[in-house]
Amino acid sequence: MTAAQPASPGQPTGRPALSRGAARSPSAARSASAATLLAAACVAWSAIPLTAGGVGTALLAAAIACAVLSAARLALGAAPAEPVAFLNPVVRAARTLADLARVLPWAEGMIVAVLVLEALHRSQAWHTGLLGAALLAYLFATHLAETRGRPSVLRPQAPLIAAGLGLLALAVGAAMIPAGTGSTAALIAVLAALAAIVVGGLALPL
Amino acid sequence: MDPRRDQATGTASQTSQARPVWSLSAHAGRLITLALAGLIIAVITRRPEFVAVAAPAVLLLAARRPERPERIGVSASPSAMRLSEDEQADLQVAVTGYGDHSVDLMVHPRFAVMPGGGGGGGGGAARGGGPAAGPGDGASSLPFHIARSGRRSLGVLEITLRDRWRLTEGRVMVELPTVDCYPRPAAQQTRVVLSRLPSRLGDHPSRSSGEGMEFTGVREFVPGDRQRRINWPATTRRGRLQLNTFAAERTQNVVIIADASSDVGEPGSTPLDLAFRGSAAAAHAYLAVRDRVGLVVYQRSVRWIAPGLGARHYYRIMDLMLVDPGRAGPLSRAAGITRLPRAALPPGSLILVFSPLLDRRLVETLRDLRERGFSILIIDVLNAESSGRTDGLSSLARRIWRMEQEAIRFSLRELGIPLVRWDGVQSLDEPLAPYTRRVMVSRR
Repeated sequence: MTAAQPASPGQPTGRPALSRGAARSPSAARSASAATLLAAACVAWSAIPLTAGGVGTALLAAAIACAVLSAARLALGAAPAEPVAFLNPVVRAARTLADLARVLPWAEGMIVAVLVLEALHRSQAWHTGLLGAALLAYLFATHLAETRGRPSVLRPQAPLIAAGLGLLALAVGAAMIPAGTGSTAALIAVLAALAAIVVGGLALPL
Repeated sequence: MDPRRDQATGTASQTSQARPVWSLSAHAGRLITLALAGLIIAVITRRPEFVAVAAPAVLLLAARRPERPERIGVSASPSAMRLSEDEQADLQVAVTGYGDHSVDLMVHPRFAVMPGGGGGGGGGAARGGGPAAGPGDGASSLPFHIARSGRRSLGVLEITLRDRWRLTEGRVMVELPTVDCYPRPAAQQTRVVLSRLPSRLGDHPSRSSGEGMEFTGVREFVPGDRQRRINWPATTRRGRLQLNTFAAERTQNVVIIADASSDVGEPGSTPLDLAFRGSAAAAHAYLAVRDRVGLVVYQRSVRWIAPGLGARHYYRIMDLMLVDPGRAGPLSRAAGITRLPRAALPPGSLILVFSPLLDRRLVETLRDLRERGFSILIIDVLNAESSGRTDGLSSLARRIWRMEQEAIRFSLRELGIPLVRWDGVQSLDEPLAPYTRRVMVSRR
């Protein structure tokens, strides 16, 4: 409902001013718009070339639905505090649907659907790499829209993001080198499995 | 996840310690999804480019550090504990001990608490954030106003701490203090004054002669009269000593009955709101001329305060309007106003009733009081009408209801109870004008 002040840890302390606006702040609205556009771009990018029928169509529909609901979730914002007891059934049903859009992890669903969609057709490594970069940008835009933060809050992790993108570029470049034997692919698969275990460990509760 | 709630009610300026509930942020959850999905697809499809998709997310997740404050200090205090409707105030929030985390504050206001400046503005959540660098103090100020009178809880303050990588979040919920919101008095400059006033010194000129300031006539001097009051021009004309006479100045007892039994219509301008605003205006206007003012609140129970004087008594009256209607008063509504003690309803007092006249028992009580000789003036604050379907039966029912209301008002007028209508927007002086221009004759 209000404009959030910059909340980057790197800035001097000062007095954090609480401000208030009638609706979401302009920066949050910009982030939400960017997230929506990126979601649409990711879905379109992963769907090309289109394959008619089968799992591909179902996945495409799921990805579109997740993208739309993810955008709706950002647009809806936090749930209103008023009780629903005295609302008429239509408004109450609308509120229930809105709550459903808020509760379920649509962004995660879209990520999985988009990646599987990308994996369904044999595309170039750079194609997948660009999709990865767009997905990362989508995640950050979604985070900024959710927390109503300004892009400056990401400044402390900018070197890490740059390093990650560099790693992505390197990995894509490596993937584009044709593998002479099957052992290279097997080695990469082992490395990926190890990395998956590491990520699983990071995801454990703190 | 159920964040712990800390009670900071009342002792608002004190800093309370709160333990944040830490969890992975939604952002971290999405990064984990991206990393796992990329890696699993890479393993299954044996396509290394999906490892590339997962790589930045893995790197960002690996940067997570488990440093977080176990406790933070929170103090939230409004700039004033007593307000009037729509009066601006600030909620001062100070958070300490949050280390190098960023702080995001969000207030979830309760009913009638409006965050932000005056004018419009919905009752949504208000939020703000603050930078934090090192172990410092973060203080924020959130303007708010309260749209309806009563004892109002400001709501719940949600504090969100985020680490520098935005991967973990700590949440604290703090219950905000309760603020007394007095009704905003309507504009009233004039007063209704009865023709018969009790023998108590005051500011209203009465019919009897006395030591007041208002000249009433000339009479012949009798021994014992004060010589300074001799009217020399009249004495010269008549040849005998003539004396100026003045009206005695008396006070009057005013009892205000605020009918708070009906709360229908648009919140903020219901008959209850109007009754309280009108009562506050009347109390202020009469206390300003040193009249004795009492209040009877007719709600689930009858609460009353005996007529009294002075500014302090004004606040006693206002406090009576804030009492929770759920708390039982000394008299139940069934017992009614007629059983109030003599101190609460002194004989000869002017009774001003702010009511939508929707409660039959109150109407009967007013009739009874009139028959007992009280001078009553009703200010009708009914400004709502039943809404809903517009079919034939509904409109017929609405018409019958309107006719019933008209009949009630007609019967009261027939009993000699003047009744004026006030919409809550205009000054109270306008509807009361026919009764404030001259004294109101008190009939027995």
